[in-house]
Amino acid sequence: MAKLIIDDLHLSYGSTEILKGITATFAQGEIVALLGRSGSGKTTLLRSIAGLEEPKKGVISIGDQPVFDAAAGLNVPSEKRGLGLVFQSYALWPHKTVFENVAYGLRLRNVPKADLQQRVATVLDGVGLGHLGDRYPHQMSGGQQQRVALARALVYNPPVILLDEPLSNLDAKLREEARIWIRNLIKRMNLTAVFVTHDQIEAMAIADRIVLLDGGRIVQAGTPEQLYTEPVSLFASEFMGVNNQILSRVQDKRGGYARIDLSGHPLWGKDRAGKSVSDEATGVIRLEQVEVVDGEGENRVPAELETSVYLGSHWEHVFRCGDQTLRAFGRPLAAGTHWLHLPPEQLWVF
Amino acid sequence: MNRATRIAVIVAMAIAVLAPIGLVVYQSFLDGPFFQPKISFTLSAYEFVLDDEDFFDALYNSCIIAFGMTAIAVPVGALLAFLMTRTDLPGRRWIEPVILVPMFVSSVVLAFGFVVSLGPAGFVTLWFKGVFGYVPWYLYSKWMLIVIAGLTHVPHIFLYTSSALRSLGSDVEEAARMTGAGPLRTAMTVSLPMVMPNILYSAVLVFFLGFELFGLPLVLGDPEGILVLATYLYKLTNKLGTPSYQLMAVVVVAIICIALPLVALQRFLLRAANRYVSVKGKAAAQKPVSIGVWRWPAAAMITAWLLFTVVVPLSGLVLRAFVSSWGEGVNLLDVLTLAHFRELMEFPNLTRGIVNTLLIASVGGALSVGVYTVLNLAAHRWPSGWTRLMDYLVLLPRAMPGLVAGLAIFWVFLFTPFLAPLRQTMIAIWVAYTLVWLAYGMRLVSGALLQIGPELEEAGRIVGASPGRVSRDLTIPLIKVGLFSSWLLIFVTFMREYSTGVYLLAPGTEVIGSLLVSLWGTGAVDLVTALSTVNIAMIGGGLLLMSLFGKRSHG
Repeated sequence: MAKLIIDDLHLSYGSTEILKGITATFAQGEIVALLGRSGSGKTTLLRSIAGLEEPKKGVISIGDQPVFDAAAGLNVPSEKRGLGLVFQSYALWPHKTVFENVAYGLRLRNVPKADLQQRVATVLDGVGLGHLGDRYPHQMSGGQQQRVALARALVYNPPVILLDEPLSNLDAKLREEARIWIRNLIKRMNLTAVFVTHDQIEAMAIADRIVLLDGGRIVQAGTPEQLYTEPVSLFASEFMGVNNQILSRVQDKRGGYARIDLSGHPLWGKDRAGKSVSDEATGVIRLEQVEVVDGEGENRVPAELETSVYLGSHWEHVFRCGDQTLRAFGRPLAAGTHWLHLPPEQLWVF
Repeated sequence: MNRATRIAVIVAMAIAVLAPIGLVVYQSFLDGPFFQPKISFTLSAYEFVLDDEDFFDALYNSCIIAFGMTAIAVPVGALLAFLMTRTDLPGRRWIEPVILVPMFVSSVVLAFGFVVSLGPAGFVTLWFKGVFGYVPWYLYSKWMLIVIAGLTHVPHIFLYTSSALRSLGSDVEEAARMTGAGPLRTAMTVSLPMVMPNILYSAVLVFFLGFELFGLPLVLGDPEGILVLATYLYKLTNKLGTPSYQLMAVVVVAIICIALPLVALQRFLLRAANRYVSVKGKAAAQKPVSIGVWRWPAAAMITAWLLFTVVVPLSGLVLRAFVSSWGEGVNLLDVLTLAHFRELMEFPNLTRGIVNTLLIASVGGALSVGVYTVLNLAAHRWPSGWTRLMDYLVLLPRAMPGLVAGLAIFWVFLFTPFLAPLRQTMIAIWVAYTLVWLAYGMRLVSGALLQIGPELEEAGRIVGASPGRVSRDLTIPLIKVGLFSSWLLIFVTFMREYSTGVYLLAPGTEVIGSLLVSLWGTGAVDLVTALSTVNIAMIGGGLLLMSLFGKRSHG
């Protein structure tokens, strides 16, 4: 069942268009990441759902209840939408204790005192802060503050919880733990969650589905696997992973494959953009898909090893082939020329 | 606040601001006071004033004084700011708070102090004469007035320049030093240009204050008949015997016409000034520049300035309040007395004035901060035409010097039937004070509001609080400390205010400031100095409170 529906949403600041027609559906119990660079409109989209920005066109519905409909002049204020939002800066109220920060939403809903005590305690226990209710936000670490912010957004059982770059203020180690922890918590409570991030690893780790935005439009939406293995555009492929790029022209086309040229060596790759012969094209292949092989063959190129970087779990090699650079992962290699295999089904031609 | 409340608040403010000005403009085109039954429209008041030589004299004097004092205050203030914030000047820590004293003492009190100390029969004058046999200065000359006005307005320049210098990270200076510039060259080519917009802004402010000048020329210009615009207006009341409202209105219109462009210019410059400060470098620990042996002449210069503008007038004034007589050959220790203060207590209007001043400063000040807060909240995070309108409206009262605003409010209370019974109560005074300090108070409160991030309020909306609840539960508690320090500043400001109450002075509405002005006219020097001393003590108490609070909230 669809929990949150966004239909043809447009928003501008003055003459600058920020959102240029966003249509998306979010199902009950689904965790969706809004992924994009800064300026892609992802945060604006989240704030529009929250009612903190006013779009100029489009419809937003929660459940089957519209909360924003530009044509009908409907704009339910933030406080009446009943959503939960975790701010990037956490936005904890410095003059209230942790308990009061969390309890405020319940007080506004006139929850009886005994019930309120109990619900706040439960949600604080849920985020692992049951014993810290009397503290003030400034007495807590960044990771603890983030949990308080989450507790504050969860305590009144919102139909949808929104998270704005929830992990960006944590240090690298803590962030990796928090990804798993947040995903587990949201899944355990069977909540519908929408979160904004610019980090594709974070999006893939937490989300069931990713909506990739660029320039105020949706580029691609799908599961993390779909976005990683079947990007629809050069932008999507670049955003989701680390790639080799081969600039060339389309030489030939046959059965869904296109042939490009790498310094005189023919390479077949999947035709992903429907380019015609002699169009300029870019061949894209993930670093981990490039194999170092023993000898000549189909879709193989010889390349000079330029340098190798030790990364702990593996080596990254930089090769030169004519005027182009190719990178690959692998075991240590001797200097000199090596043959690289670029499998046609992993090489995308855009 | 919801939209309707916001608009209602802004409209209410528009009426409060525009009514006095509208009434003054209306009055200026009449041939008699507006409350007379038979009046008609005429330009005769304008003709009269524009024919009056005294008016042009006053206008000329105002120009000369405004230019002169700016020319004195700007270099002294800027130099002072640089020495205090950037160099290893000895004794910086204890000099700093004293520098601002002339801003907090009312200028009419300072003027009395100069008369008592440097006047023809002043303490310092007599002492100097006894030692050197002659006196090289004459207090009541125009030049002396300009020098005194200039030196007492140094703190304004100092305040803006030093805060700009402080927010300028020393990394920009260190970068200049690294590329090979010496300390002086760095100051002239990097620091000075970067704070130039702030100096320019404060220079226009001082020039503007020069046009508003009332207390100093009233006391120091009177003996030689030197009139400026404000004192010309004040004298006009008595000039023709009958209240010549239409003439006063014309002078007020003239003053507003001069002041308004200056206010607009300040606003424009303030924007320019913030441009540099906002691109400041990292405001890390600033390392003072060593100026070597130059520290001693610099320290001497600052001491001389402090001696002249703070120590001499204030100590003279306080001393005068405690002696029964003085003169050549009188040992001051023999004539010490509390008689003037006892005499003070015998006048019910004077004791009432002291109580009223305390009330208007404490209770009235708190209410005013309340008004400024409501006005600020009405415009808070609401980008619309209404808030832009409000921005401009706030500037209008700024163009009315206290004397003028007091007169305009007096007329409004006279003119509006349902307000008339309140005319001779402290409510009229409070309205006038609140209006005169509107721009200042608004800025104090909005400074506090700017400190809180928008997401703290958005978080409140998201969890389900209406805009009103957000203001009540989140915004106001968050700016509590800022509101309290705003109240302290307004407290001191209302305490020293002297010109606004002048036209509103009546039995029941006495405040120390307006009493001082009227007592000076009667020549009761004993009472004036005693009352001034009380005023200084009260302001001192307020400042003490402020520094205690400042220490607490920082620690």
